[in-house]
Amino acid sequence: MTSPSRREFLKAGGRVFAGFGIAPLFGTWLRYSADPELIEMRSDALGSQVWFDPIGLYVQPGTTVRWIARENVHTATAYHPNNDRHSLRIPEGAAPWDSGFLVKPGATFDITLTVPGVYDYYCMPHEAAGMVGRIVVGNAVGPGADPFDYWVGKAGTDDWRHVPDAARAAFPSVERILAEHRVRSYV
Amino acid sequence: MRRLTPSAIAGVLGVGILFAFPGTASAQRESPLPAASRMHPDTAAAPLREPPGAPYKKVSTLVPLPDFVPGLGTLYVDPATLPAGPFLAYDHGGNLVSSIYMIPLKDMNARKAFSGLKAAQARVDHVDIVFNAGHPGVAEPHYHVIVWYVTAQRAAQLAK
Repeated sequence: MTSPSRREFLKAGGRVFAGFGIAPLFGTWLRYSADPELIEMRSDALGSQVWFDPIGLYVQPGTTVRWIARENVHTATAYHPNNDRHSLRIPEGAAPWDSGFLVKPGATFDITLTVPGVYDYYCMPHEAAGMVGRIVVGNAVGPGADPFDYWVGKAGTDDWRHVPDAARAAFPSVERILAEHRVRSYV
Repeated sequence: MRRLTPSAIAGVLGVGILFAFPGTASAQRESPLPAASRMHPDTAAAPLREPPGAPYKKVSTLVPLPDFVPGLGTLYVDPATLPAGPFLAYDHGGNLVSSIYMIPLKDMNARKAFSGLKAAQARVDHVDIVFNAGHPGVAEPHYHVIVWYVTAQRAAQLAK
């Protein structure tokens, strides 16, 4: 029998607190003190297959997400025009991020997601191969919940880049993320 | 952003003058080939040993890749030859183990020809043709055509 993880312990604590009707007092503390939600950046030995694991994730606002490089060289980069003119696929009020290249195995990048909505992100060297991920924070709203080409024809979007075909095919649906909360990659 | 720009990539196409390097791990620092046979007539410094010298540059100084790429080795390339290369790969002992040509899928689908790529002047042990999903410097799906100058067993020692 394995010992419970810190997250499981905190969740159990939350249930105890809820039983005494004081959960609202501790909810914020529990949320921010929990370990980050981990997303692994993976690759096979040959670099032929690359993926985020999980590829789809549901979290509450205020959750910190941590990407960790296991093999190969990766980035976690938000779909946002500030990032090499990629189309906007994170909430309009959210700050874009770019981890930069995580070269060494074990290297990490953290970001705390506070604005509700759908956040799509990609790996710079592997986007064309379909290495992308999706996080739903609270509610499935915002540009990331729209069709990939929602922006075509809108002012100021002439130089935005389309999401590559392989990436489009890789994204898990918002509905599946809402149902499963953690969607593992097929690889 | 640290992504290699297309113009920087386009800067690399050169001539790889490569040499075979047979031998065992214990003999990696001293090639059994006579010195004369290891020198290409067109170059003053043969790239048999790391570093190969100009116009080659260590790949890890051009793009964010580790100095030693697991499975391949320490890579050098003439930036003018990107993306095809050849990339010269060296083992931990600084000995040339392979030359690698990186061919984007989109170029293959477009039936693009890659002619006149430089090759080694000595015996090739074997060739691997391996799909790669991309990496800094060639950030698109492509194939690695790896011309090995060492046995598969020695190539396997490059895993770490």
